[in-house]
Amino acid sequence: MKIEPEQESILNGESGRAMALAMKTLVEYGKAFGAERLVSIKSGHLAGTFAIVTYKAYYDILDQMVADGVKVKVPTTTNPRPGGDLNLINRIAFSKQKYLEDCLKSLGVTLNLSCVCYEGPNEPGPGDRLGWAESSAVQFANSVLGARTNRNSILIDLCSAVTGLTPEFGYLLDENRRGKILVKLDVDRIDPSALGFIVGREAVDQVPVIEHFDIDRIGLKNMGGSMAAAGGVALFHVEGITPEAPDLKSVFDGEPDRTITVTQKDLDALRFKEPNKADMLVMGCPQMTYDEATETAGHFVGKRVKKPTWFCMIPEHKERFEKTELYEKALAAGVEFYSHCPLAALTLKSKRKLVLTNSGKCYYYLEGSEYGTLEDCLQAAGV
Amino acid sequence: MTTLKGRSVISGRARGPAMITRMPVNFTAALTKPTNAIPGRRAVVKDRHHDLFKKNLKGTVLIFPACIGSTYTGMLLLELMHARSAPVAIIVQRADPLLVSGTVLADVWYDRGIPVVEYESDDIYEKIRTGQNVEVDGETGEIKVL
Repeated sequence: MKIEPEQESILNGESGRAMALAMKTLVEYGKAFGAERLVSIKSGHLAGTFAIVTYKAYYDILDQMVADGVKVKVPTTTNPRPGGDLNLINRIAFSKQKYLEDCLKSLGVTLNLSCVCYEGPNEPGPGDRLGWAESSAVQFANSVLGARTNRNSILIDLCSAVTGLTPEFGYLLDENRRGKILVKLDVDRIDPSALGFIVGREAVDQVPVIEHFDIDRIGLKNMGGSMAAAGGVALFHVEGITPEAPDLKSVFDGEPDRTITVTQKDLDALRFKEPNKADMLVMGCPQMTYDEATETAGHFVGKRVKKPTWFCMIPEHKERFEKTELYEKALAAGVEFYSHCPLAALTLKSKRKLVLTNSGKCYYYLEGSEYGTLEDCLQAAGV
Repeated sequence: MTTLKGRSVISGRARGPAMITRMPVNFTAALTKPTNAIPGRRAVVKDRHHDLFKKNLKGTVLIFPACIGSTYTGMLLLELMHARSAPVAIIVQRADPLLVSGTVLADVWYDRGIPVVEYESDDIYEKIRTGQNVEVDGETGEIKVL
């Protein structure tokens, strides 16, 4: 790997030990994938915002950076809070939350506290190189915004943010952004979240190209969230929708490696057969945007939920939504609004609770959860 | 004794019983349990979607196709290696950034990384069975079934 003189001096410890190790981490990380150089990034996004009390190495590395007075070199946002104020067990498990956030603040990180950073202070454009973590945000940046980032881990995200660099390999290079798998659709009712779950499971870590269908920005977010949980997809294309797939011909190099067909039966098979048995409903994983909350809340106006119903929203979008009449109406219907991560919050809740969610991502990670379409969730909520 | 030749990803040498799955692993779903982070404890898989559900990965040579899921993966693997509860070596069909980050972080910051070898062919599932002793050389990419 070619190391620039400035990078070399950081490696040699001239900016302190923590910076030297951060640089060394990126060099070794890049070498494992044959990267030839480190390139500068436009922004960072950190996924490590759940201060789980048992972690050791994570806090130790943060401490070393803070002690050395390290600051991020590029604008850097963070993932949501875990919901530590919900109940006692969460308060204990995440008792290091304030300490963690103080560390991030001293590093100069923007505490937007959302996995949907691109609908806020950190929206990259086509061709921008990034050093992000958070599987769903990585995927949205690559697929929908045409930016370029690998699926970086927590702490790699931080090493990139403080050096302003990422090794050039994988999805930063044109040749790895081409379609591999063609996904054909044989469905009557598209459910983006369920579709993402199935495509993720099938594609694993290859680039899928889904044939054209109607999908909006909210749908792309939710489809991507599922795809990056049930699979390791960092980049997908939708024919005629996403920027690098104007048509099928230009996104594939010749023929796809594999063609799969997703049927209505596949989508329906994910749905929980007895939605009415759910004890609670969770929506917003990745977090809901203002527009999504507006759309979803409309179903609750003038009604009353029979079961606890959570909307988990981007904090800044939630603040804006709280000023609307619709918010008051949804609140009157019994909807609860949060801005923490439902996954982190509910992992430590009583397992006896059966959670129904219209998020494929939440369903994948949350033990004791079941999947339902928005309609299934509304039915279960009794609205 | 069978010897297989893979590609070196992270150097180091280790030996242990093979733990094999043909399913991609979501380490975040698998390992996010507080009990897995207690030093010297274990690495029990908690992912109910997975065929390694309830298996302990500590001390094994873990053999699997690819990583999927959350970008917590690298940190979780780092924590396991830091607590010395991780597999002793990893053989993967496609090494990805998340898996590699975990071992690089453990290596660079704590000198506790584990060897990783990439071995693409599916014949690995015929040549090695769960429980067989395997020696992995991350430098040469050599895998010995003992």
